[in-house]
Amino acid sequence: MSDPFVNLKSAMKEAIFKDFSFSDERKDAVKETIRGKHSQQQLHSWKEQTILAVLESIQHEPKNGYDISTHLFHKKDFSFQNNEGQLYTLLHLLENKEIVISKWIEEKKYYFLTMKGIKYLATSKQSSSKKQVSIKHLLEEASL
Amino acid sequence: MNELEQLSVEETWINDKEQIIDQLMQEYSDGILYLVFTYVKNRTTAEDLTQEIFIKCYEKLDQFNQQASIKTWVYRIASNHCKDYLGSWHYRKIKLNEKMWDYLPSKSKQVEEEVISKNQENSLYRAIMALPIKYREVVFLHYYEELSLAQISKVTTININTIKTRLKRAKELLRDKMMKEV
Repeated sequence: MSDPFVNLKSAMKEAIFKDFSFSDERKDAVKETIRGKHSQQQLHSWKEQTILAVLESIQHEPKNGYDISTHLFHKKDFSFQNNEGQLYTLLHLLENKEIVISKWIEEKKYYFLTMKGIKYLATSKQSSSKKQVSIKHLLEEASL
Repeated sequence: MNELEQLSVEETWINDKEQIIDQLMQEYSDGILYLVFTYVKNRTTAEDLTQEIFIKCYEKLDQFNQQASIKTWVYRIASNHCKDYLGSWHYRKIKLNEKMWDYLPSKSKQVEEEVISKNQENSLYRAIMALPIKYREVVFLHYYEELSLAQISKVTTININTIKTRLKRAKELLRDKMMKEV
């Protein structure tokens, strides 16, 4: 007995698929969504330089968030301008990574470098690069 | 390499990912669309789901294991996505609504069916689409996509012997159906 599905391909094409295709508009919609997700990710990634500048700012003395952001402006790093909240997100994650620790002093939170943080700073200074440090990995580890 | 550097994600990888998805769409989007249609039997839904599937591929691309074939990987995501959709509350609600319409007399539907049944190829198509989903998916993957049993097994996570049985059973069901029509 012959296989009843032999003509399946041509039957399906003829009946429905011949004028059915994933249009360019649909493809563009996918690409647009992807780009949207990408820029969302960028919100959460900082230049390595910025992270180093944050660490440098508390290298010699602990500072609170406001002082750190002032320090960054003096250094002409405007990553957190109009977006100061992101600085606290970064500090929080650096804390989770045990690169910094914080302490409440007179109702302000001061950030200190840990030994680990000091080491990072020392080794990272040697190799300056323009790479982006993505918080994604920090986040992944922090959420474990 | 220190840990801060390890945390670096090259900007290029994200651009690469966009390009990979673009290529996947050039290569497989029609095939995926047809597979999805085979599951959901509705053009617009199939297009919407296909769109979601490629976005899912983008999100999961980091998890793609180089040893697997990218085609089976994409098809597997598609198959899972369709099954999730068919099991969703949203879908079951729509289906119920459609069934209600079936009880109301409609002339347009009859006319449509008459047009469709004009040639034999269409009757084969209708018979296939009337098969229960578990048969329809393996039949499509095997006869339309011409995937091997091993590949189908990877896409659907059904074991090979079960796939064989289903293909055999699908043939029997189809013969019965075609016999009745003739």
